[in-house]
Amino acid sequence: MQIRVKCNCGEKCPEWAIVELQGVVESQLATSDQINGLEIGHLCCPSLSSSSSQPSYTFTVGYHELSGTKVQLKKPLLVLKKKAAVDAAGTEFSSSSAVELEVIGIIRQKILFKTRPKALISRKNISSIKILRFLEV
Amino acid sequence: MEGETEGGWGGGAESVLNLVPGSSVPIRYHSLFGAHDDFLLLEADEALLPDILHSRVTIRGQTDEEAVLCTPSATYAMKFVGTSNSVFLIPPGEPIPPCMKDTCNDSKSNTSAVHEVVPSVIKVASGNMELVLVAPRLDKLKFLLNERPYKLDEDVETDFQHNRSLYRWQDLLEQIQASEQELRDGLKALSAAEIDGFWRIIDEKTMDEILNMVLNNSILHGWRLNALKEDEVVSILEADGYPRNITLHCLATFGNMVGSSGCSLWSLDEKKVCLHFALQALGGGKMKLEIFLQKWRHRVPSGMHADLKMLEGEVLYEKLGFETWIRAFRVSALPSTPAERFAALFRERPRWNWKDLEPYIRDLHVPGLSSEGLLIKYTRRSQPRADVEPIFSAR
Repeated sequence: MQIRVKCNCGEKCPEWAIVELQGVVESQLATSDQINGLEIGHLCCPSLSSSSSQPSYTFTVGYHELSGTKVQLKKPLLVLKKKAAVDAAGTEFSSSSAVELEVIGIIRQKILFKTRPKALISRKNISSIKILRFLEV
Repeated sequence: MEGETEGGWGGGAESVLNLVPGSSVPIRYHSLFGAHDDFLLLEADEALLPDILHSRVTIRGQTDEEAVLCTPSATYAMKFVGTSNSVFLIPPGEPIPPCMKDTCNDSKSNTSAVHEVVPSVIKVASGNMELVLVAPRLDKLKFLLNERPYKLDEDVETDFQHNRSLYRWQDLLEQIQASEQELRDGLKALSAAEIDGFWRIIDEKTMDEILNMVLNNSILHGWRLNALKEDEVVSILEADGYPRNITLHCLATFGNMVGSSGCSLWSLDEKKVCLHFALQALGGGKMKLEIFLQKWRHRVPSGMHADLKMLEGEVLYEKLGFETWIRAFRVSALPSTPAERFAALFRERPRWNWKDLEPYIRDLHVPGLSSEGLLIKYTRRSQPRADVEPIFSAR
C-alpha cells in the first residue's frame, strides 16, 4: 500500500505556531457548553531582558502565570493532513482505503513554557471567568 | 478542505510568532477546535525538506507492517513519539474575503489587509512522528520473486489470465518497503530481469542451460570469453530457441560489458562463472574438499582458474576426523536484517571465528552502526587467552 505525501506550497509552506505548556489547561464549563471560541489566556512578551538576547514570554491562564521562551526547533515539524486520495482527473477514489497526506504547514519555532506556574492572586484576576465559575461550583 | 475558509484558517499564528516585546495577545480555542485526528505532525530534518516539499516522498507498508517513509533514494521508519505536554497548535492566516480571480494569486496582497486576528488553537497535539533512517526491507522482494521463477518452457500466454505471483514495477512498489533507488538496487542484486513487464528471477536450471550454451558455442566458434560479440552470441542462441532477452540477461549476470560504444562486447566474469560451477558441484550436499576441488576444476571453462577465495561467504568448511569437508552456505540465502541474520548464523554454527564470520556479515548495512557496533550488539565475544583468537557466539 502506498500513501502519497503531496505538497502544494512550493518552497514556502505556511508557518504555523506552537505554544507548549507542561501540564493541562482545564476549563470550568458546564458539559453543555463548548470550549470553541473560549479564551485560554494571554500571551505577553515583556521587554527584552538585558541578560539574554532571547525575548522572554509570559502566558497567563486564569490566575496562573507561566514564563517561557521562544525555541527554534532543531528539526522543523511539518503539519500533514490526511485526506481521501484523488486520481488524475481530480475525482476522489470511492475506496475508503485510498488515502493521501498533504503538507499544509511547517513549524520552525515554538513558545515553550516549562516553569512552574506562578499564582497571581489579585483583585484583577478574581474577575476572570475561570475563577468565577470555580467559585460558583 | 474542512476547516479552511477560502483564504485560510483564521488562526493568527503570525501574531504569536511576530509578537514584539512590550505587547500581548490573547489566545483562544479556534471556533473549529477539536480532535482533528486527520492532522499529523512530522518531524523532518532540513535535508529532507526539499524532497517532501516537492512531493517526492511516499509512505509504504501493509496494514500489518510498521510504516516507512521513502524519498527517491532512502527509507525511514516512522515512529510516533508522544508527549505529556500540552502542545497547542495554532494555524496561520486570517480570513480574507473571497477574492476575484485576478487578485487572488499574489500572496503578498494578503499582508496589506492584515488586521489583528486572535490566535486560535485548532488542536492539542499528543505527539509527533519521528523519522529514523533504516535499511530498506528487501527480504520480501526475494520471497515474492521466488514465488514463480522464470523457466524457459513456461508458457506465459496461457498463464496470462493468471498473473498470480507475477509482479510489475508498480506492484513491487506497493508491496516492498523501500525507496525506488533501493528497490532498483535490490532487483539488480537478485539478478532479476524485467520480462514482458514483469520482474522475474530466472530459475537456476535455465541460467545454467544458457551459460553452458554460450560456453559450448564459444568452443565451437572459437569465441574469446573475454570478448564475446553480443549480436553473434544472441543470434546463435536464438536459432536454438533461446529468447534474446534471456540470453542478454545471462550475459549481464555472468559477465560485464566491455569495449567502446558501437560494438557490444561482453567479458565473462571468472569469479561469477566459477562460483556457478562450484555451487553446482555442491548441489548434492557436503563432500570431501579434495573431491570437490577435482570436480570443480573439471567443470570450469578452460582458461579460467578456480580459486577457493572466490567462495567466501558461499561455503562452509568443517573438519571431520582428519578430513576437511565443504558444503554450500550462501550469504544471499540468509535474511538481510541484522537480528535475523545473526540468528540464522548461530543456528548454523554456535561459535564462529572472525575469519569465517566476516564474509557473512560484511554486506549488513545498518545506518549509524559500524561492523564493530554490529558485533557488540548481536554477538558475545570471548577470548580465553590473549594468544587465542576470539570466538563469537549468540548473545
